[in-house]
Amino acid sequence: MSDELNIMESEPLVRDRYVPKEFKLVGKRGVQRRDGKEKAGGKALYTRDVALPGMLYCRLLASPHAHARIVKLDTSKAEKAPGVRAILRYDDPELEGKALEGLETKFNAGHIASDGQAFLHGKFELAVTQEQWMQGGGRVLDGFAWWEGEQCGVAIAADTIRQAEDALALVEVEWEILPHVLDPIESLKPGAPPAIEEINKKNNIIRKVKIEEGDVEKAFKESDQVIEFSIKREPYTAAEPEPMSNVVLWRGDNVEIWAHQQQAYDGKMLFCAKMGIPLNYVKLHIPHQGSQFGHGGNPMMHHTHGLHVISAILSKRTGRPVKTLYDRRDTFYGLSQDAEANTKFKVGFNKDGTITAVKLDTIVAKMGQYGIDHFMDNTRIPNLLLNYLEAQCNIPPAWWMRCEQNHNAFCLSAVFDHVADALEMDPVEVALKNDGVEGRDMAYLAAFKKDHGFQVRDSLAEIVEKGKTAVDWDAKWHAPGKKVLPNGRLHGIGFTWDHEWDDIRGVSCVGLMVNVDGTVDILAQKSDVGCDYMTTHCRIVAEEIGLPIEHVNWRHFEECGFQMMTPDGSCNLCVDAYASIAAARKVRRKILEYAVTPTTLIDIEYPAEFPGYKVEDLEIVDGIVRVKADPSVQCPLSEVVKRATVEQAGTRAPVFDWAWHRQGRYGVQEGRHRLCRQCYFAEVEVDPDTGEVEVTKFVSVNDVGLAVSPESCEGQQYGGAYMGVGRCLGEEVVFDPKTGVKLTGDYIDYKVFTIRDIGKTVNILHESGMGWGAYGLVGIGEDIATVAPGVVGNALHNAIGEWVDEHPVTPARVLAAIDKAREKGIL
Amino acid sequence: MRRFKHFDASSLDEAVSLLARFEGRAKVIAGGTDIVGTLKDSVLPEPYEALVNIKTIPGLEGIRNGAGVLKIGALTRLEDIAHNETVQTKYAALAQAARVVATPHIREMGTIAGNICQNTRCWYYRCAHNRFHCVRKGHAAPGQSLECFASDGDNRYHSIFGDVKDCLAVNPSDTIPALIALGATLKTTKRSIAVKDIFPPSDEPTKMTIIDSDEIVIEVEIPEPQASSRSAYHKVAIRKSIDFPIVNCAAVVDFEGDVVKDCHICLNAVHYKPYVPERAEALLEGEPLTDEQAATAGEAAVWGAKPLPMNSYKITMAKGLVKKILIACREAG
Amino acid sequence: MPDFEEGGAREVTLKINGDDFRILVEPRENLREVLHDRLGFTGTKEMCDRGACGSCTVIMDGRPVVSCMMLAVEAGGHDIETVEDIERKQHPLIETYADHNAMQCGYCTPGFVVTAKALLDRNPDPDEEAIKSALEGNICRCGTYPAHIWAIQAAANRLKTREA
Repeated sequence: MSDELNIMESEPLVRDRYVPKEFKLVGKRGVQRRDGKEKAGGKALYTRDVALPGMLYCRLLASPHAHARIVKLDTSKAEKAPGVRAILRYDDPELEGKALEGLETKFNAGHIASDGQAFLHGKFELAVTQEQWMQGGGRVLDGFAWWEGEQCGVAIAADTIRQAEDALALVEVEWEILPHVLDPIESLKPGAPPAIEEINKKNNIIRKVKIEEGDVEKAFKESDQVIEFSIKREPYTAAEPEPMSNVVLWRGDNVEIWAHQQQAYDGKMLFCAKMGIPLNYVKLHIPHQGSQFGHGGNPMMHHTHGLHVISAILSKRTGRPVKTLYDRRDTFYGLSQDAEANTKFKVGFNKDGTITAVKLDTIVAKMGQYGIDHFMDNTRIPNLLLNYLEAQCNIPPAWWMRCEQNHNAFCLSAVFDHVADALEMDPVEVALKNDGVEGRDMAYLAAFKKDHGFQVRDSLAEIVEKGKTAVDWDAKWHAPGKKVLPNGRLHGIGFTWDHEWDDIRGVSCVGLMVNVDGTVDILAQKSDVGCDYMTTHCRIVAEEIGLPIEHVNWRHFEECGFQMMTPDGSCNLCVDAYASIAAARKVRRKILEYAVTPTTLIDIEYPAEFPGYKVEDLEIVDGIVRVKADPSVQCPLSEVVKRATVEQAGTRAPVFDWAWHRQGRYGVQEGRHRLCRQCYFAEVEVDPDTGEVEVTKFVSVNDVGLAVSPESCEGQQYGGAYMGVGRCLGEEVVFDPKTGVKLTGDYIDYKVFTIRDIGKTVNILHESGMGWGAYGLVGIGEDIATVAPGVVGNALHNAIGEWVDEHPVTPARVLAAIDKAREKGIL
Repeated sequence: MRRFKHFDASSLDEAVSLLARFEGRAKVIAGGTDIVGTLKDSVLPEPYEALVNIKTIPGLEGIRNGAGVLKIGALTRLEDIAHNETVQTKYAALAQAARVVATPHIREMGTIAGNICQNTRCWYYRCAHNRFHCVRKGHAAPGQSLECFASDGDNRYHSIFGDVKDCLAVNPSDTIPALIALGATLKTTKRSIAVKDIFPPSDEPTKMTIIDSDEIVIEVEIPEPQASSRSAYHKVAIRKSIDFPIVNCAAVVDFEGDVVKDCHICLNAVHYKPYVPERAEALLEGEPLTDEQAATAGEAAVWGAKPLPMNSYKITMAKGLVKKILIACREAG
Repeated sequence: MPDFEEGGAREVTLKINGDDFRILVEPRENLREVLHDRLGFTGTKEMCDRGACGSCTVIMDGRPVVSCMMLAVEAGGHDIETVEDIERKQHPLIETYADHNAMQCGYCTPGFVVTAKALLDRNPDPDEEAIKSALEGNICRCGTYPAHIWAIQAAANRLKTREA
């Protein structure tokens, strides 16, 4: 049967073999965004908007110190404050044993960090336990703080937000202030105070990783040239629009949760585990999400399940729904960041542009990314060495944030541009010279593509041509520091590339219910972070069944037994689409089977609409079932469903089916090489007097394999460009070096870029079909924002003639680079 | 955010008497876009007891073009100033400055007087919940000595012309440099005073201006510039919109042919008060304004600057900005 | 009974979308929280809470303003227009925003729509520069900015057609 249904099995090293030859809806432009009007009109509901009758508002104490223990907590005044209905203290017996953690719970199989191919190759040395490595969040509402702003000590629920905050101001806390350390390099020096002695008293090492391929030292000796340089990235954060909140209502034995979370179901499972409540007694609502970008995923912080525990206990005690909420500053503090990363490079290469060896020494604060992964994933560089250290610091826990490849992409960009510069070669040529996979060349990759049923196409060569044309590269590229515009500004143009991510992990399931009017409900719960899944899956299901798109709807807010993945390495559509395609094909077949089969109701027989025909004789087009050979023999799909489901007074038997898909192991899939490439070009103007930078043009070319919703893919392109340019030029989490207090706790001091900050974006989609996802697609959502800082950095080097080796590239750093370039006589 | 009292004043007299009644513990609220932020953040150890709303006083809003002088009511919104044709043509630096304050929404609310009297943006001073009880805030507890946390902290945005009484915060206003370069005067309930003179002497770090706590700005008056003069303004910031200046600068240059007859330059965000680089002005006068001359003026403008560990770049930036603005004035003709 | 202490909480009449709402407010309450948390105008979103993002934009007497920085006690007597009214009156912006995919997570979108409505009220035919000028105080973390230009120009065209 499976051949006829053309449903993909869960087999990670096989591409989609059942891609339709042509599409009516998939890939077509002009389909209106399904949640567009409710979002534009302010009717889309977010967790922040949820208000239940009698709801209490809960606010939490935040530590004013970077490292401190509560010695004494006096809540007596707060208890008497107007409107206060319940106070939960850190010394409450019900909080005992409720650790903030996500690993190794009894429900999941211990999905560990999925940070790329390096994971398969690395040698680990953990100075602490596995859980501690994940930054050990302590306990829900703990009695100590490991960073300034950490929620701890006390939670107060009152009738209004104001009353909860007024009461919080009456809480008297006596702190024991402990020494703290902020800088990862300082933290690793002998004599540094233990940043978190509850985890590690000896030193501040969290984890060491060594990855070695080939022999870099030998390769350096044999290379024509060797260069060394270093780079540093300051931390940045998601600055998500919707401030964190949840609502929990205890109803008898049952609990309802409204969650603002990316992996909300994960949060529910953790909550159930902590509270000892069976999963089927908790109902989860996931309203629209005011974005996530991945940073809400860290199970070691309050936002995944800690807030649920707090709200739930307070709801149980007061008998009222409780909304625990962060203000803007709490949201900047209480969620994760992409932490500081420092890397020293040594790169060997030959005169023709072939890179022979890359050695990286990376030190990151808390938890980071190695930097070496993409040299493995998409280059032919045979000799690689990484020494990686994670250092404990008194800053908020780190977590990957659009995305886990930030440092990997950044390091790739830096190496390629440095090599091109050293050789005075066109960086596009250097990229093409070194494209490959895991140390192997394009010939190997061509054979691999052929063996696995893909067309043998050279993704990078194809996309760079498109990009070069769009930016007029051949006319505009020049030697670094050598072009001054008539307006006196320095002109720069940059290029970078990478592999397109990805499709390597996850499980997804979906049900489809056909209503008696022939319309279809998609049944699956999903956290909507904005990537237009509603339209995309409605498109897919309509396409596969043969319906007008208006006949399919998906309201993905409620639990219904099925969950689709939410961006998780941007592989969601690769996996989710397999599930929705499979379910739609099964439902389509079921409808056709009904169409040729009579229904017998005790003694009455309702005849089939297409007596004497076989399923294979029929097709569904625009919601009409018809005979392939004679389309005039037809019947609306709704008639088939109505008759087949024996509708009686509103109840009926279902026309329903479901499917699931697993795409590899959660983590990585050895041997599934990335075949699609992405490349970027940026054009900048630099004011040499003031250090101001203008990004005049940003070109994204993404080989997405296949674009199911082209406008949504483009939205990821220009949207990612703004975030990426902002990361390159402005976004930075700043801590006061002396106290560890965060100085960027609002949208004024933390610089999210505006409509003014890029002149023009050019967004080009390329479709080679070489993705491992359904229909040959790969993800796009994380790529642009992740890679963009690299390309803008390269363009700035081209303008100034000198590297800015610390990001963000603020005017201060631009001016310093200009000074250096002038000293060297480049400018 | 703690409670405060709020009064709608129906006349200047009523507003002044309300302010006097609270003996310095009440503040005027106009557009509110600055003071509401400080209240939300609970920046001060002792919050203001009351706000006196002056938007309910008639006659304080509007732009009047009189005999040789432009009169801008205290409550005139920045967006209206930015789009006023007279301002755009004759007082270009002011239109340009008003145009880039914060955001369009803030400019629709924020007033010219509010922009002049706004509080500092020092991120230690403004840090929520009074995390840094600094020298600027005063009120030391017994035995406590107050410090400036920027002095050995992250001072990338702080003063390049030294501290006043240990405080390194800067004045962040966009419109002040333009108003000073244009020779504007404030009319208040107590006096008439040149904008350049409203800033406190260097022994009063906690105050942004010397305007008394019971004094209200009524109007800004700007003499009409010579027909032969040109003005320009520019702000350097991280973003192209929303941001406060790292450094900003306005200049008004009166030309006789190519030669500079008269010249007024004002930098801001470089010191606790706006900074008029008199040396630069002096060297420009009587000379043709060449690119080289503009660069020399830039050098002169930062004479005596003393960088902090993290902000020497602001000196380079201020130099470059003065040069850029002077050339912009020249090219504006 | 509320305590009508001088300078303290008081009753104000907010005129929202043409309807009067008489409510008791404390001086420290801002218009955004009154609209969103108390009166159920949940399209007026809380994002930065410091006037730096435009998500809580309402039109007051024709001006787009950030309601988080406006005290509710000072909003009485003014005409306040929220996204709910723009949606109810089927302004073409709602449709063109959906057509042009001018949103991702959508949290900031109502603030953009209100700002755009204020722009179109003043300038029925805005060019790209005018649109950028109007929207430069609205933060979209998803970076959907270019799509707003398309959506607003499409809405302007529909309004012109409607009038013609």
